[in-house]
Amino acid sequence: MGKKKKVILPPQLPPDIPDEEIEVSEEDLDFVNKNIEYAGFLTKLDANLINRHVTRVADYKEDELEALYEKKKKKASLKKSKEEEGLQVDRVDALPIKTLEGELCYRTVEESNIAHKESGSASEVKDTDSDKGLVKLTKAERRQKLKKSKKEAKRQAKEEVKETVAEGGLHSDVLAKVEEDLSAQDLFARKKIKLAEVGMALLEDPESNIKSLKELLHICIDEDHNIIKLGLMSLLAVFKDIIPGYRIRLPTEKELEMKVSKDVLKTRFYESTLLSSYKAYLLKLMAFEKDPSFHCIAVRCMCILLDAVPHFNFRENLVAAVVRNISSSDDVVRKLCCETIRSVFTNEGKHGGQVTFEAVRLIAELVKAHDCQLHPDSIEVFLSLVFDEDLGKSEPKEEKKEKLSKKKKRKQHLEQSNQLLVSEGKRRKHELMSKTREELSADLKSVSFAPDSDERRRTQSEILSAVFGTYFRILKHCMNTSFQRPMLNDISSSIGLGHHPLLGPCLLGLGKFSHLIDLDFMGDLMHCLKKLAGHSDSDNDNPSVSLTVSEKLQCCIVAFRVMRNNLDALNVDLQEFFVQLYNLLLEYRPFRDRGDVLAEALKTMLWEGKQHDMHRAAAFVKRLATFALSFGSSEGMAALVTLKYLLLRNSKCRSLLENDPGGGSLSGLVVKYKADATDPHLSGALASVLWELSLLSKHYNPSISGMASSISSMASMNPLQTQAYLSTVSPLKAFEDLTIERELLKAVNRKSSFNKKGKRGSDFVITDAEKVRSLESEMDEDVIESKFEEHFIVLRDIEENEKLRLELNKTSSALRLYEEYKQQRKLKQKRKQKQQNGG
Amino acid sequence: MRPLDEKETTAVFEKLFKFTGPNLKHIVERPATEGPDEAPGRYCFRLHKNRVYYTSESIIRRATNISRDRLVSVGTCIGKYTNSGIFRLTIQSLDLLAAHARHKVWLKPTAELSFLYGNAVLKGGLARITDNTHAGDGVVVYSMSDVPLGFGVAARSTQDCRKADTNAIVVNHQADVGEYLRNEEEL
Repeated sequence: MGKKKKVILPPQLPPDIPDEEIEVSEEDLDFVNKNIEYAGFLTKLDANLINRHVTRVADYKEDELEALYEKKKKKASLKKSKEEEGLQVDRVDALPIKTLEGELCYRTVEESNIAHKESGSASEVKDTDSDKGLVKLTKAERRQKLKKSKKEAKRQAKEEVKETVAEGGLHSDVLAKVEEDLSAQDLFARKKIKLAEVGMALLEDPESNIKSLKELLHICIDEDHNIIKLGLMSLLAVFKDIIPGYRIRLPTEKELEMKVSKDVLKTRFYESTLLSSYKAYLLKLMAFEKDPSFHCIAVRCMCILLDAVPHFNFRENLVAAVVRNISSSDDVVRKLCCETIRSVFTNEGKHGGQVTFEAVRLIAELVKAHDCQLHPDSIEVFLSLVFDEDLGKSEPKEEKKEKLSKKKKRKQHLEQSNQLLVSEGKRRKHELMSKTREELSADLKSVSFAPDSDERRRTQSEILSAVFGTYFRILKHCMNTSFQRPMLNDISSSIGLGHHPLLGPCLLGLGKFSHLIDLDFMGDLMHCLKKLAGHSDSDNDNPSVSLTVSEKLQCCIVAFRVMRNNLDALNVDLQEFFVQLYNLLLEYRPFRDRGDVLAEALKTMLWEGKQHDMHRAAAFVKRLATFALSFGSSEGMAALVTLKYLLLRNSKCRSLLENDPGGGSLSGLVVKYKADATDPHLSGALASVLWELSLLSKHYNPSISGMASSISSMASMNPLQTQAYLSTVSPLKAFEDLTIERELLKAVNRKSSFNKKGKRGSDFVITDAEKVRSLESEMDEDVIESKFEEHFIVLRDIEENEKLRLELNKTSSALRLYEEYKQQRKLKQKRKQKQQNGG
Repeated sequence: MRPLDEKETTAVFEKLFKFTGPNLKHIVERPATEGPDEAPGRYCFRLHKNRVYYTSESIIRRATNISRDRLVSVGTCIGKYTNSGIFRLTIQSLDLLAAHARHKVWLKPTAELSFLYGNAVLKGGLARITDNTHAGDGVVVYSMSDVPLGFGVAARSTQDCRKADTNAIVVNHQADVGEYLRNEEEL
């Protein structure tokens, strides 16, 4: 329908054109130039108007169209003249509307309008294109979008036609343009249909239609970006479907010379064509990858291919291309690449580990080349690697096996030499047999997808060494370059990450694979971590490492994880890390640093650690109490849980709970508590008193106050009871619980922030005892339910309280008013009396 | 009784430094708590009859009233000079060392007795060891309940300990609290 309209309409206009072109005066042009803003304003108005008209047109039947158009033309010209009148009232010296030719000056305005419009529509088209480039869509979506864009184009074309109808300006140009547009659209549609046909044919019967792959490839060389994209996508779909489950080996020349049956020839042809076109396709993708407008689609294609057919030929190139883009600054591309690599890591069965190794190696090289300045995602993919549990242990056994097999070989050799004596002929036969057998087994190996365990172990250990190499490189890098920061770093600075973007995932990875680290590396690793955690040797006292508190805490956590996973080697007391933690507790700021990391550090270092000596435990108890006093409720809760645990484990430290300072004979050599000591051993904490607890038991948060009072009641506890009382809530869990609670409380607080104090005093006291009990019991659903119930009861209470308060205020104000009124009346009466008296 | 001369001070401090490392500063600068004065001053080292004492200044001031040959001991004895002129830390210094020690070793309950009889600590008796200990560092030996038992010199570093044989010596014995019984008359 649309097309017909366009075809029919244009011929009506031509007669007007020549006169108009002649009669455009310079004055008019000047006017338009001076009032460009007005012109722009005008274009907007026009577009809306015309759009409305066009949409209306669609509802009419074809035979009515002509009449309608004429009507519309009249209307439009009328409106336009009106509008332009409105605009031109400002101009005093140019009043061209008096004559019928008054129209002419508007032509000039419209000319510019059209120009504006055309450029606008062009830019629009560009916009949609670039949109497509940026946002990745599934095929269906893409098609829809294409259709939409097509429709839009049509509409725009219609608009243009409309304008030509309305204004009759520049008609021939516009006409030519429209035709061009139409033909382009036709072409586009035709190509699309062809793509679809060829693709379908290929999918239906790949063997016979294999040649059309080249056709498809040919289609991809086009000027139209959309066609290229469509072509790439359809090729991708086809390849994904028809690539066989094995690796194609092209026949050697010798094999080519041999005579073979028709079927084999056919298969060979099929395979070679497939391979060559696949190669061409990949080359095309690689070329497009460098083109910014196709970058996204090319990477997407490669990712899907790598994901679908990691076993096939040219996978190395695919892996290389994907890894190249793994730390791209484009979020979509990066996510895609990471996902692909991750799936390669997890689905090792598809390719037998080779691709994994390749990818890990390439990532390691990438890290090396970029000097550890990449997006953290690129290292995070290592976390999804899977290693066999017995990887580290079984290596020595393997060596033994090799030795054994060597011995066997020697024996065989001996036997063979014995046989050699027996007969020459037999020996030859034997050799031939063994040779063919070897060849056969080699062939089998190359064909089969399940590699034997030895090979698997070898690849895995290679992967592992590459991974740890990368990790150590990152750690070293963090240590070395922490002071001399290269200012201009493309990726990290653009993304806005810290100085060490890779440290976080690196530490996570170390924690995860810590059980696989060789004992020889352990010393170096610990040294690195210690340095990073902020420990400075006495000789070179530069406060070099400028990591954030969270990162330092993470270093400590990882160190402990590594140590715990290798406990069978030796139980090592990581004193320096405790010192670090002791000092980091002071540096912690609730909104700058991550509370969950802190809680985890408390959990791994203090809560899970079995043995602590008395002085250290006391120092930590004291510091944690101080800490709980000065920070938010969730951090405080984590600290209190740890504190309680420490007190339970170390019965001697309970002297801290008693009221008399000094600590008696236990206090050691440091007699006075030094709050600012950097070493927990020298803080003399045993000489202090945990006065913080009595303050904390008046904490506004009921769970904290309950916890504090339960701790302070521990002083009278029998040391033998302790084991039964060991709470099961870890600091991390307590932290999370309270964070959730705090989020809930926030809403309430915002509501009732104007009269906090009064409420807390009255409302929370009631729930206190219950809360304490619920905290001490195990956390199960019932408890949570009851907690919620309480919580909402409190909420309702608060609301009711508010209402009551309002009423109270009202009544009291009324009372006050009444009193004032009374007083005033009294005064008046007095005055009256006085006046009367005076009178 | 006299203050240590320069040579003696170096000898004493070197020995102490082996155990305490940078914490030696705290030993020297510690404000004293002993003595009847309001401000007892600092602790200082004094040599008396080949023995080195660690005493607060106020006690020393009072000890000057006693003639040299009648004075048996003042403050805490931390070590003595042997007949051949070498300085040795004695078991009385254990409290001081334990409070400021850098490297520690915890013994399994089964190995405690053997150590208290004056034997070296074997890998098998080792329950825990401070990280980053090197061979030749001074080590304070604790029981599992954090009672200091004695001190010695590490025979191998923490790293080597991991791979060492069960019967390998980890800490060479220097002094233990068993000496209070065994060598009572010498102390």
